[in-house]
This record gives sequence, C-alpha cells and structure tokens, in this order.
Amino acid sequence: MPRTFYPAENFAPVPNSVSLLPFRFTRLFGKELLVNEAGEYLFAPEGTVHALVSGSFAATTELYKDLKAKHFLYDDTSSPLLDILAAKIRTKFQHIYGGTKLHIFVVTLRCEHSCHYCQVSRQGAAKGEFDMSTATADRALALMFDSPAPHLTLEMQGGEPLLAFDMIRYLVPRAKAMAKERGKMLDLVVTTNLAVATDEMLQYLADEGVKVSTSLDGPAFLHNQNRPRPGNDSYERAIDGIARARKIVGVENVAALMTTTSASLDHVEEIIDEYVRQEFHTIFLRPISPYGFAVKSRKRTGYEMARFLEFYKRGLKHILEINRSGYRLAEIYTQILLTKILTPYGTGYVDLQSPAGEAWNVLVYNYDGNVFASDESRMLAEMRDNTFRLGNVHKDTRRTLLTSDAALAMFESSCNQTLVGCSDCAFQAYCGADPIFHHATQGDMYGHRPSSDFCARNMESIKHLFSYIAQDDPATMGIFWAWLTGRPLPSLEVPCA
Amino acid sequence: MDKEVPGLGSTVTIELDRTLFSAEAVLKTCHWFSKDFAFEICAREGACLSVSLTVKQASVASECVRADFISMATDFTLRERIEARTTSIRELLLAKAFAEAGVLEDSPEGVFGDPIEEEKPDGLFKILSNASG
Repeated sequence: MPRTFYPAENFAPVPNSVSLLPFRFTRLFGKELLVNEAGEYLFAPEGTVHALVSGSFAATTELYKDLKAKHFLYDDTSSPLLDILAAKIRTKFQHIYGGTKLHIFVVTLRCEHSCHYCQVSRQGAAKGEFDMSTATADRALALMFDSPAPHLTLEMQGGEPLLAFDMIRYLVPRAKAMAKERGKMLDLVVTTNLAVATDEMLQYLADEGVKVSTSLDGPAFLHNQNRPRPGNDSYERAIDGIARARKIVGVENVAALMTTTSASLDHVEEIIDEYVRQEFHTIFLRPISPYGFAVKSRKRTGYEMARFLEFYKRGLKHILEINRSGYRLAEIYTQILLTKILTPYGTGYVDLQSPAGEAWNVLVYNYDGNVFASDESRMLAEMRDNTFRLGNVHKDTRRTLLTSDAALAMFESSCNQTLVGCSDCAFQAYCGADPIFHHATQGDMYGHRPSSDFCARNMESIKHLFSYIAQDDPATMGIFWAWLTGRPLPSLEVPCA
Repeated sequence: MDKEVPGLGSTVTIELDRTLFSAEAVLKTCHWFSKDFAFEICAREGACLSVSLTVKQASVASECVRADFISMATDFTLRERIEARTTSIRELLLAKAFAEAGVLEDSPEGVFGDPIEEEKPDGLFKILSNASG
C-alpha cells in the first residue's frame, strides 16, 4: 500500500522574510562569485545578487539553501547563527592574536655573493664592523622574548650569516635558554646560500635543531647568472651545500627559495624541473622585490607584473602536470592562497595579511641595533629611506617600538577593509594591504590599487585559482587538497586490463 | 558588442541617471578607471550625471569603455545596497568576532612586557622602562 507524505513545505516552511548577511561579489567566468566576511565563497548564476538585493530571490531553490548554509542570508525560519559566523571570522583572523611571532636577526651584512637582485647593500666578506655585536644581540633577544607569542621563530640571516658563525653560536643557546625559562616554543632558522658552509657548521646546526633555508634560482646557467660570486660557482656550491646539509641536518630541515629575474621569465619549466631534480617538494615562484639594491639594478633584472603572472600561470600548469605524474611538488604562493580560499584558516604569510603583518607579526633586528617592521623595511633603509625604522634595541622597548610614529603610520594604512579599492573587493578576505610595498613602489602607504603591482598580482592569481576551482576537475582539486592537508596525492586511475 | 578603444587624449562622455547611480558609486567606478583615464564629473539639469573620461596613456586596458564603466557602476550600486542592508549586522559580527582580542578596550589589562624580565631588579626592561619613564 503506497504511503503518502506531507509536502516538503511542512518540514521546511517557506520564509516570509529574508535578511542579507554582509558579503562582497565579483563577476567571473560568466557567473557571480559571492564571498562572505569569513572568506566562504559561492558561485551563482548571473542575476543572483540583483535578485537578493531586490528581494525577488526564490526561497524554494537549491541555491537558496546554499546561500543560507554559507551565511549569505538568513530568514524567519532560522537563526542568523551570528556566533558561528563570528567564530569563523575569528579563525580567519588568527594571525592578529598572540603578538610578534617571527624575529629576524641580521647577524651580518657581509656576503661573498654579489647578486644583481640582492635586496640589501652587501658588504665585503672581511668587514667586521657590519656584524651584530653581543650587546645588540642581547637586547634583540630580550625584545624578542618580550613578545607574548607562545611560539617564536628566530631567523638568522644576512648578508651571509655563516660568515658571522660566532654570532649564530652566541644566539642559539641563549635563545633556547630564554624560551625554556618562559615556556615558549622556539623554531630556529638560518637563511644561507650555503657557499661557505663547512661540515662542522652544519653539524652544529643539526645538533641545535636549526633549520636551513637556502636559495636555488634554477639550473646552473640561470642560478650562476643571477647570483655571481668569485669563481662563478654559486650553483655548484649551492648543490653541494644542499646535499651535505640534507645529510647532516636532515632532508626535512632544508628548504630552498627562488627569485624570478627577467632572465628567469622564459625558463619556468627548467626552474621547476631543477627543483624536482634536486628532490625538493616545494617551490615558491617569487617575483623580484622592488626594494633595496634591486631598485638600482631594475633595468637588468626587472620586468612588468604581467610577464610575471604569465610566468606563474605557466609554472603552475607545469607543477600540476608533475603532481599528476605522481611526484609531489607544492607551489607555496598557491598553497597560501588556497588555504585562505578553501579552508577556514588564515596563514602566517605576512605579505597577505590584513591588518598587515609587518611589525605586528615580524620584527627585524639589524646588525646595528635598528629595528624594522619587516625585511623589506630594512631594504628600504639601505636605500636611505628610514620610514619604517621603528627604533633601536638599545633604547626602545616593545611598547615604544609598536607605538612609534613609524609603526602607527603604517598600521593606519594596513587594513584592506578600509582601503579605497579594497573595501568592496570580493577577494578582500584572501588578500592583504602591504603598506611597505605601496610606499616603496607608489610613494604612498595607502597605495593606488588600479595601478598597483601588488593588487594586479593578487587579483590575477586569485582569479586564476578560482578558474581551477570553477572547473572542479577532481584530479586538480585532489592535488590542491593534498597540498593543503598533507595527505598523499590522489592516486592515478589505472584502467582495468 | 562593438569595441570602443579611444586614442590618447580623446574623450568619452557617459551620462548616467542619478536616481539609479549614486555619486559614491560613480566615484568608485572612476577610481578603478583612473589608471588609464582622467575624469570630469558634473551634474546636469534634471537627474543626469555627466562623466567625461579622457585617455591619459597610450595603452588602455578597457576595450569597451562605455559598457565597462556602466557595468562597474551598476555593480558598485548593488554593493551600496548590500552594505546599506548589512552594516549593522556586520558591526555586530565583527564585535562578536574580536571581543576576546581586547581590541575593543581602551588599554589592555595586565603586564604588557615580558613578566620574567620585568621581575628582575636589573632586567633590561626595568632599566629601559625607568630610562624612558
């Protein structure tokens, strides 16, 4: 005997009134992309936003349920679930909690390389006056541990920090003792080109749990072109150093970064293949920074952002092909953006934070005691622009650094929620503000987004990633999720025999 | 739609109905076109707003200036309407989200600095605080 049920409306009554929750939108690929305050997104047919605003949207559709589930609206049959949405927003903005996490110590300006794009004014390898003193190191450590952050990272860089190895040996045990006394977690990193790394140095890093971050710009012809040094053997030394560091410090503790110069633009596949050949599982396709010494050599190394974006897109396509073949290789910028788009979380990447992460999440202690809001601020100072010099370790406290005129001016322009061009942008939740970049490139911390390279790069990169998301190819999305979760790559389908 | 790529120095004039497009929405649209164009905006008799866009650089991103401008102004008008209907709830949401961060308070309670360093009679921050105070 057939059973009859009450109509669906008895279980889910049609609402009498519908209220909107805040969201932003843009038009992509013939659809409307809606993004709420927590960064949750929904693709909807053209006309959806107008229908929502004019109150003509049909509450009986599947799309209505999706809009309700993703906090774009609520009605009289349900709660607006404000506490849940607030918790999601708080999760996305986790980076503003806890105080400064990354502390960069410039232990020396000395370097034996003379890279065209180097962002700092390098000094000769013998000039000891460009080394950090123990008095400066003590003060910088005290400031670092004054941060309320429960998990701190001490990054030792230069110049070439291994040329001041005594300072590394001075900093590491003291930082560890201070962390232990305060019950804080501590990560230690040295950023080195590895050209002067001896096995004894590497053994010390291994014994003390110091991770190694190095540079690899691509195959030999490109790396040596970008990174000249006496003997023109930067690549050979880097490869040798990476091999020894992996053996002594551990494969998982050695990472590499690349910088894209104009010479790199036609070789993205070769650069990526070099990372695979060297058995790296991450690569960061980074544009050249418009700071410091890089500005002087712009004609030799610079390029238009449009060319970089073409480089990035071609590179990402190649990286996805490599992943499809079974070799795991994640592109870091893509991973950062996808984390913001696809997961409830933000990231610790300061360039894409709002409020901007400079000073708030990173402080740089220069060899001479000057404290900067970021590494980029220090590079500007090398070009005699001290706009972002917050103070000096020998006379300032954390309070005076973070309430300095330099910091306050920067903070004021550090929220993309309030910036012209950003305040209405659908990608706001995924992007940042970067007042230092805009000061350096446009002479204005607020910046002019229609002509900003920062905006062009992020708008286009995010649109490009949404093109993959809109296609929803299971293999590609499987790779993306593998990068985000650490899970294995999706297995290749093998046809039955 | 026909492409309309104006040359350097040439001007495109667009007339908009002020009952449909607010000055705010038009100004936001002008902002996004300001890389390529200079603007002159004036209110005509009746409900008409006249926007003249003069090309200021050789290469212009937009191929259909008039259509792109009106389309963007329409979107900014929609955004204004969304904002008007959601401002109060947005403020409430953000207040709920960040209440625990202490950002709504005038000054944070408790010790601002490193408690271990501050407890030491000869601690660096005791010295620095005294010096600065």
